[in-house]
Amino acid sequence: MSEERGTEKLRTYDEINQKIKRGDAVVLTADEFIKTVEESGLEKAAKEVDVVTTGTFGAMCSSGAFINFGHADPPIKMFKCWLNDVPAYKGLAAVDCYIGATALSETEGFEYGGGHVIEDLVSGKEIKLRAEAYGTDCYPRRSIETTLTINDLNQAVLLNPRNAYERYNAATNGTDKILYTYMGTLLPHYGNITYSGAGQLSPLYKDKDFETIGIGTRIFLGGGVGYIVGEGTQHNPQNQLGTIMVRGDLKQMNSHYLRGATYYKYGTTLYVGLGIPIPIINERVAASAALKDDEILTNILDYGVPSRNRPTVKKTSYTELKSGKVEINQREVQSSSLSSNKVAKEIAVTLKNWIIEGIFLLNRPAELISNYREFKPLEVKRKEPRVRDIMTREIIIGKPNDDIKDVARILIAKSVDHLPIVDNEGKLMGIITSWDLAKAVAQDKRQLHEIMTLKVITAKEDEAIDTVVRRMEQHNISGVPVIDQSNYIIGILTTDDISRKLVRRATA
Amino acid sequence: MKLKLIYSRENLGKPVLSEVISKTNLPINILEAKITLNTGEMLIDVPAIGEKLKEVSSLFQKAGLIVKEITRTIEIDREKCVTCGACISPCPVRAIIQDLNWDIVFYEEKCVGCGICVDACPVRAIRML
Repeated sequence: MSEERGTEKLRTYDEINQKIKRGDAVVLTADEFIKTVEESGLEKAAKEVDVVTTGTFGAMCSSGAFINFGHADPPIKMFKCWLNDVPAYKGLAAVDCYIGATALSETEGFEYGGGHVIEDLVSGKEIKLRAEAYGTDCYPRRSIETTLTINDLNQAVLLNPRNAYERYNAATNGTDKILYTYMGTLLPHYGNITYSGAGQLSPLYKDKDFETIGIGTRIFLGGGVGYIVGEGTQHNPQNQLGTIMVRGDLKQMNSHYLRGATYYKYGTTLYVGLGIPIPIINERVAASAALKDDEILTNILDYGVPSRNRPTVKKTSYTELKSGKVEINQREVQSSSLSSNKVAKEIAVTLKNWIIEGIFLLNRPAELISNYREFKPLEVKRKEPRVRDIMTREIIIGKPNDDIKDVARILIAKSVDHLPIVDNEGKLMGIITSWDLAKAVAQDKRQLHEIMTLKVITAKEDEAIDTVVRRMEQHNISGVPVIDQSNYIIGILTTDDISRKLVRRATA
Repeated sequence: MKLKLIYSRENLGKPVLSEVISKTNLPINILEAKITLNTGEMLIDVPAIGEKLKEVSSLFQKAGLIVKEITRTIEIDREKCVTCGACISPCPVRAIIQDLNWDIVFYEEKCVGCGICVDACPVRAIRML
């Protein structure tokens, strides 16, 4: 880019605001702007249109609110506090706290969390406050229990460290188990696809080089007016995964655009409604604002792989995702959104109307958000035990034609519960547990091959213990054979190994 | 029409369904079946209405089964719903879809009452009836 980012070549912020005040600014939603560009071309559309509005309404876990309760008499320096039994962060001054969207209720668990507290506050409901303190000379009180509403608070400020992902990876599941993830319910064998993000209405994609979006940009936030504080955490704009940090006054917001939510077996979050006005200050911004769903690409990842690097199953576009069906391995798979496309449109229209009515003006940001930021993983420096470090290498194995009674005797003598069955080369064929043997005796079966489980859940020796523990939990089993690349058995890992050897390592 | 058939211990092993199918010549579809040692429950879809449906029900009743007509399976609270779509693709029978305006449309007749959407809904707007 030869020209400086943010050049106001087509129009300045002042010119736009004067037009807004006169009532003759041309404001379109991103959907409408795309149509205009298709009809009259980019150059003409960029000359005619002053502002393009955007919107998104999705689950944004990095959200929360700063609250100031005011002082009781006698006063308290709260050390721990709970709102409707949801713990709030208290490493702040006496009566300030931060309630985060994903904090869980200590009485209701996944069903109620910080996101729900924020929704209930905004809708004016009564909230139960409980706090504990150690008592000081200046703050003698040691506990407090009362109720409050948002009107009783001095400040209730939504301050979200990461919102409005430019786009997001879509999710599917290649395993044979149903998965409950932060991307929703994922059916086995690539049974469905879920996605998030508003595509061609997505606020940050509509100015993907951050030429107009920056610190201080006035935005639509939770039904009220908010501001961009800076780049969001995990901001990764060079890969079109930019994010922003935002703040706004909860007292001006509307619970239609701030909803507490629960992802089944995952946790709580907050659905946040957010819209950004994009001033068409130059043609590059116009080109970005005109990007269509079919030009906004994302990857469908296999969430069945519980790793930082989930494999990409397919590259797709928001057009395909929004169509409701995506082809994977020559099969049509249903896709659906987790963020609301309907409310996203509603936000873009509302923001447009605010500007047309002259009640919302645009502003030049104090500083533009960076369009490049290094993206780092967390490296674990301490050596963590892998499967190979705690698995049992002296394995007792069976052959398919072994007699069940002989095997039962061996299992009792060696006191083991799992017997991998291997072929003559030592490759894994199946598995028998002591429970299978009990059933075999009851049903008068004779040889192992009659009763062995053929579909064996296994582990690899370089896998992390936590990954394998989760797999055992999912399949409700207590041991897995450890195999190499060629399916040769090299060990066995049982819950017994994990509890005894890991504890010994920890205490050593 | 969806029917729930409740088997008792006495009629558990009998091919009641096959007999009804061969008598009525209707392509009855089994949507869900739970059989334990003492009792059994089956959810079936009978492509019939009116007299024909009455005939099917009475055949099952004569064979000793308890028959319940299942007219309602789930209920969506439109006030709570945020039209996100999280319930759509997990539905194994495509009973919930989003129309062109992204409104949620529910096809009662397709629903098998599995309840997967109840858990999938992030705002608990769906409940089993």
